[in-house]
Amino acid sequence: MNSRYGVRIWLGVLIAFAIVLPLVVTDRFATDIFIRILLFAFIGVAWNLMGGYAKQLSLGHAAYFGLGAYTSTILEIRYGISPWIGMIAGGGVAALASLPIGALCFRLRGPYFAIATIATAQVLMLLFLKFRDFAWGAEGTTIPNFGDAPLMMQFDEKSSYYYLALGLLALGLAITYRIEHSWMGYYLVAIGEDEDAAEAIGVNAPRVKRDIYMISAFLTALAGTFYVQYIYFIDPATAFSFNISVEAALVCIVGGIGTLWGPVVGTVLLETTSALLQSWLGSSAGGVQLTVYSLILIAVILWRPSGLLGVFEDAYRRIVRARPASTEEAVLDG
Amino acid sequence: MLETLAQAVINGLLIGGIYALVSIGVTLIFGVVKIVNFAQGEFVMIGMYITFFLANRFGIDPLVSLAVSIPVLFVIGMLVQHFLIRRVLGLGDMPQIFLTFALSLLLMNVALLLFTANYRTVHTAYSDESIHLGALYVPVAKLIAFALAMAFSGILWLFLHLTDLGKAMRAAAQNPDVAMLMGINPHRVFAVAFGAALALAGAAGSLLMPFYPASPMAGQVFVLMAFVAVVLGTLGNVTGALVASLMMGIAESLGIQFVGADSGLIVVFLMLLLTLAFRPSGLAGGRAR
Amino acid sequence: MKKTFAGIADPQSAAIEAGQSAAASDPKRFSRRDILTRSAGGVVAATAFGATPLRGYAAEPVNIGGLYPVTGSMAQIGQGCVNAAKLAVQMVNDAGGIKSLGGAKLNLIISDIQSDTTVTRTETDRVINGSKVSAIHGCYASALTLIASEVAERAKVPLITGSSSDQLNVNRRYTFTPFARASQFAQAQLQMARLVNEKPKVAVIFENTAFGTSTSNGLREKAPGEGVEIVLFEPYSAGFADASPLINKVKASGADMLFSVSYLNDLILIVRTIKQVGLKIGMNGGSGGFVIPDFYKTVGSLADGLQGVAHWNHDSDADAQKVNAVYQKMYGEFLFEYAGGLVAQTFMLADALERAASTDPQKVRNALAQLDVSSGYAAMCPGGKVKFGPDGKNIYGHPVGVQWQNGDLASVFPKEDARAPLMKT
Repeated sequence: MNSRYGVRIWLGVLIAFAIVLPLVVTDRFATDIFIRILLFAFIGVAWNLMGGYAKQLSLGHAAYFGLGAYTSTILEIRYGISPWIGMIAGGGVAALASLPIGALCFRLRGPYFAIATIATAQVLMLLFLKFRDFAWGAEGTTIPNFGDAPLMMQFDEKSSYYYLALGLLALGLAITYRIEHSWMGYYLVAIGEDEDAAEAIGVNAPRVKRDIYMISAFLTALAGTFYVQYIYFIDPATAFSFNISVEAALVCIVGGIGTLWGPVVGTVLLETTSALLQSWLGSSAGGVQLTVYSLILIAVILWRPSGLLGVFEDAYRRIVRARPASTEEAVLDG
Repeated sequence: MLETLAQAVINGLLIGGIYALVSIGVTLIFGVVKIVNFAQGEFVMIGMYITFFLANRFGIDPLVSLAVSIPVLFVIGMLVQHFLIRRVLGLGDMPQIFLTFALSLLLMNVALLLFTANYRTVHTAYSDESIHLGALYVPVAKLIAFALAMAFSGILWLFLHLTDLGKAMRAAAQNPDVAMLMGINPHRVFAVAFGAALALAGAAGSLLMPFYPASPMAGQVFVLMAFVAVVLGTLGNVTGALVASLMMGIAESLGIQFVGADSGLIVVFLMLLLTLAFRPSGLAGGRAR
Repeated sequence: MKKTFAGIADPQSAAIEAGQSAAASDPKRFSRRDILTRSAGGVVAATAFGATPLRGYAAEPVNIGGLYPVTGSMAQIGQGCVNAAKLAVQMVNDAGGIKSLGGAKLNLIISDIQSDTTVTRTETDRVINGSKVSAIHGCYASALTLIASEVAERAKVPLITGSSSDQLNVNRRYTFTPFARASQFAQAQLQMARLVNEKPKVAVIFENTAFGTSTSNGLREKAPGEGVEIVLFEPYSAGFADASPLINKVKASGADMLFSVSYLNDLILIVRTIKQVGLKIGMNGGSGGFVIPDFYKTVGSLADGLQGVAHWNHDSDADAQKVNAVYQKMYGEFLFEYAGGLVAQTFMLADALERAASTDPQKVRNALAQLDVSSGYAAMCPGGKVKFGPDGKNIYGHPVGVQWQNGDLASVFPKEDARAPLMKT
């Protein structure tokens, strides 16, 4: 009971902190970094459902990011439909697309699955490049300027984008929490540990994987819409960028794969590192940021494959001298 | 028309030889160590830079620098296996996939840091020369690269089939437990396999240099086709990878000629997806996973 | 900002420190080369986060933002742009700054946009809002410029750019494009083809990127009107392993002229493959990777005789030649298209500031809209005149046809802009 209570307090503090943050820190550049953190944490949370809980290591989530981005943009520019609606529609398109893609890729496991997902995102990008009349081709398009138009998801105030991204992240975390504490969550963990064994005890693995893939794709697509509205521009190279797929997986692995807060911790760590690097080393040396990213990744894989979240949890336990917590009662886990 | 067709086949075959060097490395590592090496292309890139600097600083011909790039990459391979790969063996999918993936990212960006994104070329006397046979032509640099690529592949095949170490490697690939019982030290075998695979990548780098510019991202261009070839030719099957690579080279060339130069990659990826989905064991048969 | 955010707050102070070390207390102590080499590292480092004066002046300087990809895939060209932008600012300042503002100096705020769309979005915003700029320029790549332009429009700050995408002239008020548009390049290329051959048969190969498709579409639309027959129109995926299948296709098409719209790496392979095939074909490499010094460095004498187009060339008039000489002395290579245009742009901004007598972006925008120059550094461009139409397009803007001649890029077309005769190949 006590531990649960402590968790609630911490969660309350965290939420209050996140809400107050842009009111205190009004610097636009700092806000930009916060938005990046929230956005990539959200993409990580979406990826984590698939990659973390079900251990289906996708390297092609850019496919859904791009589909979400393109759906809402096409609806907005061609039909004048608000991106708020387009966002949901994009999620729907992505969820639907995940069915055939999943049917194809789920026949495979491990590295084969990863390679196949890379290929799906690439094929989508190449198709958007090739069919120019369908969606502006390689030239891409900019988002029409409506000024301060909250109904069209355009804001003068940077903090509005912040709160929107925060809302998305909260949604992603809430969904993850619900799934984690449902039957589906247990099925997922069982599949993640040993798919054959899970099937043997009666888990309908294909169905569970299909469902979680749909949810993951849906959420990733929401991020795509937000991203386009935020940078005012879309083209296939940006929307289906391999970097998106990589970053989604990376923040989870660094933070803690298959944990509720792992993607958040990972994103905060990586984005802060990259901001610091930029200020210390400058950007005169190209490649520094990704060099450090990949070093962190290698270090985590070799020394702490369960992610850095665990390191903080251990430290926290040591500080509060809590009773030896059981694994289900991970400190931040709720 | 017939000329065009013949020329397209020649072009495809020649570049297929390079794909083969890369894909044989990938498939060798997978067969023996059971790891997909996402960083194979970056080792080709390292081979290219070694060759570039030898040519640039000391005026050494790229073909002579094979004598440097092959052993250097072999040693790098043993070290990578010993210090990195060994530590994730048996740890499940995530560390195994993302370790080589992270290595690929690291090498690309370190190269960017050290050498910048500039394209580096080595110009040799034979770089732009061709042998003309009637209306057909065969570029000299590519012909040399192809011939040597085939020679190296043949040497590897002989090594695997005739030497004790090679036989041990194949045994370890087929059944590591039994191999260990028979007194084969798997770590030694793994290290040699990794070294040999990277040596092939290094050779590819040197052979490419007379006609392809080096840049930090150069490896990515070749590794993509290599992966497709490896899957088509059954992961872990050296001969399969060789044949599939040559086929991919020809298919790509014919595709550009008769379908369209922007559809080549779509076709390649779709072939990969369909093969994975319906013949995950590859076209040559055998069992994947 | 509190210590909690040290990671984010501190860069400001780090930036100031770095800025001081770059600018130093006494600028006169350094030779020009010193300042440039020092600032190459220092300024870029400093401006990653904060508004940092290039050099510390007591008078209130006019802030100009420059957004270029100094790292990432376009790093080299981006660095060239930054070098040119610094040179231009120095020239304006050495000539007494903005007189109507009491001799105020221009203060260049360089930002690295890393060849990345997200970074472009956030950096543009940061430069505009963090530094109270009067105007900005950038970003080399059209896709990046489009993003910067969207941000600038919303912030109501003028953006002046050498990027050629026609999309930059649609529904915009604060975006100014003093040089030829992508659609105009096509016409020039087609007319140049007819210099060599009365009825040219042209093969067009282009990478399927924004740059490739926009340029090639112009070619296809205008070819019939210019009396040019297009016998092959082929998009390809950028970054190939081997150019020979593509060149084989060109050969089979029976074309006598090849238009290749490509970035540097593919272009190198294409040119070398043509040599290997022994194909006798004229070639126009467009702009982009074709008109930078690196192209000649990598393919050498194979480049000689090849044609291209550019929105700016260093031999256009006496002023351009003067700037080019200075730049060449500093960096060992000629002032390339985009960087050279940037020098002219800086003087256009100076002219506008002079007339606006204000640093207010709105007033600078209005002054730019009324710009009308036909002499001096601001007017050094093909045609030699700059005046913006309501769409932000220079009404006199047109491209210049160029040709590689013994390692130099010579203007050869049209007649009024030609500075050297066309070399027959």
